[in-house]
Amino acid sequence: MAEEEKGKVQPEEEQPELGDDGELAEKYLANWKRSQADFANYKKRAEQEKADFVKFANADLISSLLPVMDDFERAMENVPEEGSSEWIEGIELIYRKLMTVLENQGLSKIEAVGQDFDPNFHQAVLHEKGEEGKVIKETQKGYMMHDRLLRPTMVIVGNGESEQGKNKKTNN
Amino acid sequence: MGKVIGIDLGTTLSEVAVMEGGEPVIIPNAEGSRLTPSVVAMSKNGERLVGQIAKRQAITNPENTIYSIKRFMGRKWGEPAGRELPVEEDAHRKTYKVTKGPNNEVRVLMSGKEYSPSEISAMILQKLKQDAEAYLGEKVTEAVITVPAYFNDSQRQATKDAGKIAGLEVLRIINEPTAASLAYGLDKKKDECIAVYDLGGGTFDISVLEIGEGTFQVKSTNGDTHLGGDDFDQCVIDWLCGEFKRDQGIDLGKDRMALQRLKEAAEKAKCELSTVMQTEINLPFITADASGPKHMNITLTRSKLEQLVGDLVDKTIGPCRQALTDAGKTTAQIDEVVLVGGQTRMPLVQQKVKDFFGREPHKGVNPDEVVAMGAAIQGGVLKGEVRDVLLLDVTPLTLGIETLGRVSTPLIERNTTIPTSKSQVFSTAADNQSSVEIHVLQGERPMAADNRTLGRFMLDGILPSPRGTLLKTDLVDIMQAVIDDRLADTEIEWRDEACVGVVLASGGYPESYRKGFPISGLESIDSDVLVFHAGTDHNEKGEIINSGGRVLTVASTGKDYSAARQKVYRNISRISFEGCWYRHDIAIIRNPA
Repeated sequence: MAEEEKGKVQPEEEQPELGDDGELAEKYLANWKRSQADFANYKKRAEQEKADFVKFANADLISSLLPVMDDFERAMENVPEEGSSEWIEGIELIYRKLMTVLENQGLSKIEAVGQDFDPNFHQAVLHEKGEEGKVIKETQKGYMMHDRLLRPTMVIVGNGESEQGKNKKTNN
Repeated sequence: MGKVIGIDLGTTLSEVAVMEGGEPVIIPNAEGSRLTPSVVAMSKNGERLVGQIAKRQAITNPENTIYSIKRFMGRKWGEPAGRELPVEEDAHRKTYKVTKGPNNEVRVLMSGKEYSPSEISAMILQKLKQDAEAYLGEKVTEAVITVPAYFNDSQRQATKDAGKIAGLEVLRIINEPTAASLAYGLDKKKDECIAVYDLGGGTFDISVLEIGEGTFQVKSTNGDTHLGGDDFDQCVIDWLCGEFKRDQGIDLGKDRMALQRLKEAAEKAKCELSTVMQTEINLPFITADASGPKHMNITLTRSKLEQLVGDLVDKTIGPCRQALTDAGKTTAQIDEVVLVGGQTRMPLVQQKVKDFFGREPHKGVNPDEVVAMGAAIQGGVLKGEVRDVLLLDVTPLTLGIETLGRVSTPLIERNTTIPTSKSQVFSTAADNQSSVEIHVLQGERPMAADNRTLGRFMLDGILPSPRGTLLKTDLVDIMQAVIDDRLADTEIEWRDEACVGVVLASGGYPESYRKGFPISGLESIDSDVLVFHAGTDHNEKGEIINSGGRVLTVASTGKDYSAARQKVYRNISRISFEGCWYRHDIAIIRNPA
């Protein structure tokens, strides 16, 4: 009997200790909830990243190929007049083939010349005479990978000053 | 429960990080980049642009594109300049208009409207906040923002105001070198002296900190507000131009298009030379003259680069020395050196710093991200989400059991985070097999004999049945410890881990296992077995029950394991404990019948 009574008393004695534990338990619960939430969010994002990965897995590689494409284009803009036209045509076909391969991976060129300057896709490198706010020249091609910007087009933007009176200021 | 973001609000670039799963993570912005230019612009049609997009249009809209606003934060016209340029001089260098507001405060003009530097910074903070919200998928309302150690009160207040305007409650403003130290976990150190060497894109800062009782105190700062990675690039560009001129006789310095390409190539080469010994700068059709197109193809070696920028690196040592003098320290008194900023990736910089301070500096993979990460850690600390609340351990080696053909069959792969449990169904190998020997192994080798034996015991009492009868083995927290008493009379070392095992065994285990169970077949290993077994249903706390002479059960209630431990000590102190069972090494055997 005495033991039973003792057994009953004991929990009360432990009451304050329990209070501390409760606080601790709450802290642990909060931390646990937090890591659960972190994990749930992480999982969601991992799914998204996985989907993106499939789509953009090659983006890095293609990005590093873009300077090669630039050089190709520069070469073709500088074709010497005395060269064999058949040979040049062959090189151009190689370029087009490479471009097609990249396009099949989701790469597309950004149209720039003649369009309104849009900093979402264009990077202004110079501000020169020409129609205001319009892209008057491209200095380096920009590319999209699917719906994502891979590299903005380097452009020269018109400053509104007329060029030999050809252009007049326009507003939209 | 909202997250606190950590923001490195930089002069040219800003970053945002957050604690995730106890680790700081840099949040990529909407454009997919980890760095956001600290640029704000108002486009011609009244649209507000922030970050990369604002930067791209800067050249077409210079008077309405605000950059380096940090240099004006909390500053006044005519005030004595500290480390920075006087406002007058700084204002003069900008393409946008800097005006005088009330109390000589600085105002900037954008699209004809006056803004305070705090308002401009708020626009950057707002973008970072939005990007963080998009990433986290929840609202963000609280932040920790970093500032240079030399910022005075009004500059700090202005930064705080910027946060408020952006809709962020700034829980704390912390110093950039402090944040960097936090990112390297140096807050755990006691009474140490830390030097933080921060060489970024455009500025160099050296700070000497003292840490005590978990708080950092800035003892001194020094630096150069106009020295950074960009100057390193310029050295390479100048050299390339010189080489090209010597070879081709053409000065590329006047060709803006060529310079643009050179700048990119120079930066790329510089970065590459941090990991390789030489790189090729290959720019076909860089320019043309009457004789036709010209190409640049120059090889740059690491040693050449180091020769080109050596003076720049040396320029950082003077401020380091001064900072030490101001702090009243010698290099020998510096306990830790921390590297911050992208330019510190360069081996020459690391070497020079090491030579000067005479010790290996802390360097992370991304030295340009440590400030934002440290801010996120501070945010986590303030929220009670401290990194080491829970230290999760891993099993260093694979745990498995021996199966037919003396093969080691892994159950728990190495590097598995523990506690963990794994069950696998095994079957008997012969008809009417009445017992199974469970041989627990630790190691990666395919054959049982090549791995370390953690213990072996027999499981018997299997009802006679054809081979293929299913058995189940669970590997869980410590439940049994096998003790070899062959050395019963020799003095032994009691492994504390085993006591912990007893402790852990007292909770979270199914009722049915608490009573203990007989293990037989010990003859086969010629040793006794002690089963440390916890059971809340035993009244006698920590009583050791000798069941059947050879099998011992230690019972403990959930609470008072220390008493149990004492008894274990007392009673088995003379028995050799050979198994050294860690809590994740433990097997429990259950007969499915």
